[in-house]
Amino acid sequence: MTGRERWAETTVFPFTALAGQDEAKLALTLAVICPALGGVLLRGEKGTAKSTLARGLAALLPEAGFAGGFVDLPLTVGEDRLAGCIDLEQAIAAGKVVCQPGLLARADGGVLYVDEVNLLPDHIADMLLDTAASGCFRLEREGLSAEVPSRFLLVGSMNPEEGELRPQLLDRFGLCVDVAAIRNVAGRMALLRDLEAFETDPRAFVAGGGQTRDAFVRRLIRARKLFPVVGLTDPAREKIVTAAAAAACAGQRAEILLSRAARAYAAWTNTPDADPAAVDAVAELVLRHRRRQVQPPEKQPQEQPSDPKPNDHPEPESSQASPSEAKPEDGAGQSQGNAPQEDQPDPADNDQGHGKAEPSKLKEDVFSVGEPFRLKPIRLRRDRLRRKAGSGRRAMTKTLERQGRTVGARMAEEIRDLALDATLRAAAPHQPARRAAKPDGPAVRIRPCDLRERTREKRMGTLIVLVADASSSMGASRRMTETKGAILSFLLDAYQKRDRIAFVAFRGDGAEVLLPPTGSPERAYRLLEDLPTGGKTPLAHGLFTGYHLIETELRRHPSTIALMVVISDGRTNVPFRNGRPLAEALDMAARIGRDDRLKSIVVDTEPEHVNALGLAGKVAEALHARHVKVADLRADQLRQIFRSGRDAAAPFSQALAG
Amino acid sequence: MTTRPVFPFTAIVGQEAMKLALVLNIVSPSVGGVLIRGEKGTAKSTAARALAALLPEMTAVAGCRFSCDPDDPARLCPECRERLTAGQPLPRTRVPTRLVDLPVGATEDRVVGALDLETAIQDGKRRFEPGVLARANRGILYVDEVNLLDDHIVDALLDAAAMGVNTVEREGVSFTHPARFVLVGTMNPEEGELRPQLLDRFGLCVEVTGIAEPEDRVEVVKRLMAFEADPEAFMAAHAAEEKALGAKLAAARERVPRVTIDDAELAAIARLSIALGVDGHRADLVMMRAAKALAALSGRDAVIRDDLRRAAGLALPHRMRRKPFEAVGVDPEIVTSILGNAA
Repeated sequence: MTGRERWAETTVFPFTALAGQDEAKLALTLAVICPALGGVLLRGEKGTAKSTLARGLAALLPEAGFAGGFVDLPLTVGEDRLAGCIDLEQAIAAGKVVCQPGLLARADGGVLYVDEVNLLPDHIADMLLDTAASGCFRLEREGLSAEVPSRFLLVGSMNPEEGELRPQLLDRFGLCVDVAAIRNVAGRMALLRDLEAFETDPRAFVAGGGQTRDAFVRRLIRARKLFPVVGLTDPAREKIVTAAAAAACAGQRAEILLSRAARAYAAWTNTPDADPAAVDAVAELVLRHRRRQVQPPEKQPQEQPSDPKPNDHPEPESSQASPSEAKPEDGAGQSQGNAPQEDQPDPADNDQGHGKAEPSKLKEDVFSVGEPFRLKPIRLRRDRLRRKAGSGRRAMTKTLERQGRTVGARMAEEIRDLALDATLRAAAPHQPARRAAKPDGPAVRIRPCDLRERTREKRMGTLIVLVADASSSMGASRRMTETKGAILSFLLDAYQKRDRIAFVAFRGDGAEVLLPPTGSPERAYRLLEDLPTGGKTPLAHGLFTGYHLIETELRRHPSTIALMVVISDGRTNVPFRNGRPLAEALDMAARIGRDDRLKSIVVDTEPEHVNALGLAGKVAEALHARHVKVADLRADQLRQIFRSGRDAAAPFSQALAG
Repeated sequence: MTTRPVFPFTAIVGQEAMKLALVLNIVSPSVGGVLIRGEKGTAKSTAARALAALLPEMTAVAGCRFSCDPDDPARLCPECRERLTAGQPLPRTRVPTRLVDLPVGATEDRVVGALDLETAIQDGKRRFEPGVLARANRGILYVDEVNLLDDHIVDALLDAAAMGVNTVEREGVSFTHPARFVLVGTMNPEEGELRPQLLDRFGLCVEVTGIAEPEDRVEVVKRLMAFEADPEAFMAAHAAEEKALGAKLAAARERVPRVTIDDAELAAIARLSIALGVDGHRADLVMMRAAKALAALSGRDAVIRDDLRRAAGLALPHRMRRKPFEAVGVDPEIVTSILGNAA
């Protein structure tokens, strides 16, 4: 029995006493009845008893006949403790190399709980994935070699605000629940009273709920016993197939999970065979995080309400974004394009560059910020090299420089940056044997095989430079609102990936660095809110300023991974050096494109239209940049993360991922 | 222990909201800490550090590295539990409640604890060397510039704060010990915001601004100069005041468990949270606890509307569901519409 587990008994609010959260409780119960479901993911806003539920359940498990232990995986877990390592004490006392079992071994037959599972470091998540998939773990380290069985029920909780879960990891969770706070006065009051009573006298409170608890445990035991013989009725089987098909899930996994979950539900409700009602009861738990949208919702970007306050309590029933209603193809874009014609002369006209003729009648408007959406994953060409930087979450590269903080140690063929502590730890178990072999010598005998190198990380990550078009052409038909929404989405994404961000806007006669590289997207947001729109379009100036910023940064921190995001329709009409504006912009773009220290993306804000000029595409080509339409950026509406997930499955397709 | 002179809490001019938020955590640690936001030079750190002098003594297991409470068997460290199961009594002692500094540059192993290397090499024993979180158990964990804290340190903090337990599973160590602490942080929002998850872990939040009144400004300078010229004398001059406040807080702390809140006030809390659309239930809980602490501080045994009003002002600003990156703050109109105007 581990320490944490024992605390759970009197310090965790009892599972059966918690009001509400029925769906989460059901999911956890089903997973205990049928561990083959693979686990439960609890998603939701802060402070909704996610970890209380998971830990409360853990307190009941030993009684419910759940053989294995409950392992609470701390985010700071080291690879060695997860996998297992040499037992130091045994090695020194007895001179034997014995494995001190890791957490994966301890979790075998039990529950592995990860709070804030979306914050788990990638290499740890990888180990979990491998193990969860194969049911065992291949230990190969420090001279230890073993096949460690490890079948566990994975329970995770997370707050989507902090970033999404990797799709492979998401898939490992058989069931998924979106946990939300109680939204009625009486329910909230009851919860407060319960918590008050628990705080005042935990023992009395736990004792008071004893009967409910015991009844629950008995029911759980009975259901676990019953489960193996529970079958599936034919109508239920049909229902499963149709439900999975309607959700457009990939592979057969959804069907398998649905039948398991329905059978577990039948066992829980003490029915011999799962019927369609059982399938209904569990369908959302299984399908919520697997559902794929058949049609990407194309229509949203345009009709943003001007009300700056987004819907505070998203209704799960809101039909507006449901995939079935998404208007077929281009109708929406069309109507947008036909809206009041912005100054849309053809480029040849513009190219004459009637220079600074009309600065006086600059019309400026400040547009509100459109609603943010979740970006499709932006994939930079992944480099497997150990690069000289990186602690952001976008680019996972470890640093080779001897700067930055130590985050761990590793074995290496050639040691440049000795991790003394890790080296000593590695050498410790072998001391008796080495001393015996050669009695005289230094107090600590270190051999080359003990040497460990530091792994370091620098707090730097990726620098994203947003180069945004704020000229008057962007002011038409609320395009700037939409563009601001896109920029905000980049800011959110940058926050979650811990990128640094800089902000350049161009309009009128030139470009301006509104925000030098910073780790504070809040400041960028405030600037974004106040950013006026108006004037001509000096694209080349914008490109130049953005590039200059990156160059300066690269000079100071050569290891920075730089990404330039150009947001514009490409309709430039201000010459950079008395030439033709478009030609100059393309020339500038081409020059930047030749510098392979940075990568670029062009977000094209030109509406779909018969008269579309496609200039942004040309700029992208010159930049060697990816060219993306603003509407194609969105994975789905950001706020959908908070709703039931009914329509939240992201189409991870074309555009950026391609 | 070195006794660096500390500017007395009671000598801080103005900044009443900040001072109140801090002392509420002494009255009732379950309030869950304070985040103090404000520009430089607003006595944020001074106030936080001065809090140490007001902290009461507590009973702890003598010699325990985690300052375990001998009267709380559910939350003992493995070492104390071993003693208890072996039938040995837990020796008691009175110790001051600690205010532990978490430096922004601290490494993860220093925060969560690590393998005691010396013991490992010399005796071949796997001994756990406690870190900052161990020292902070049952005390206050103070983080200056909390918004500059490294990501993995924040993760470790969140992990520990969630359950009041620190679990270390790394470098051959497998150790779990109690780590219940009141988190007090200061930050300058100009240098970047906090991650929402960490923000939510602070029970209360106060925004401090520079003092505007010229007379008060003069007074601040006067006191600072007096303190710098002769810290001992300055502290002595405020000793009586400090002692009086300490006694008042101790009395309030005694009273808190007796304080009740009736259904009308509880309903007001729930309505407020719903109207403001705050995330989760933590806001409700903190408001209830803070209101109780406020009542106790005023020597009352029941929460009144005014307690609630003040509690809301401290518990809500950082919990508003708002557009991402929007500034921290509460719409006072909504609060007034539900709680009514101040008497």
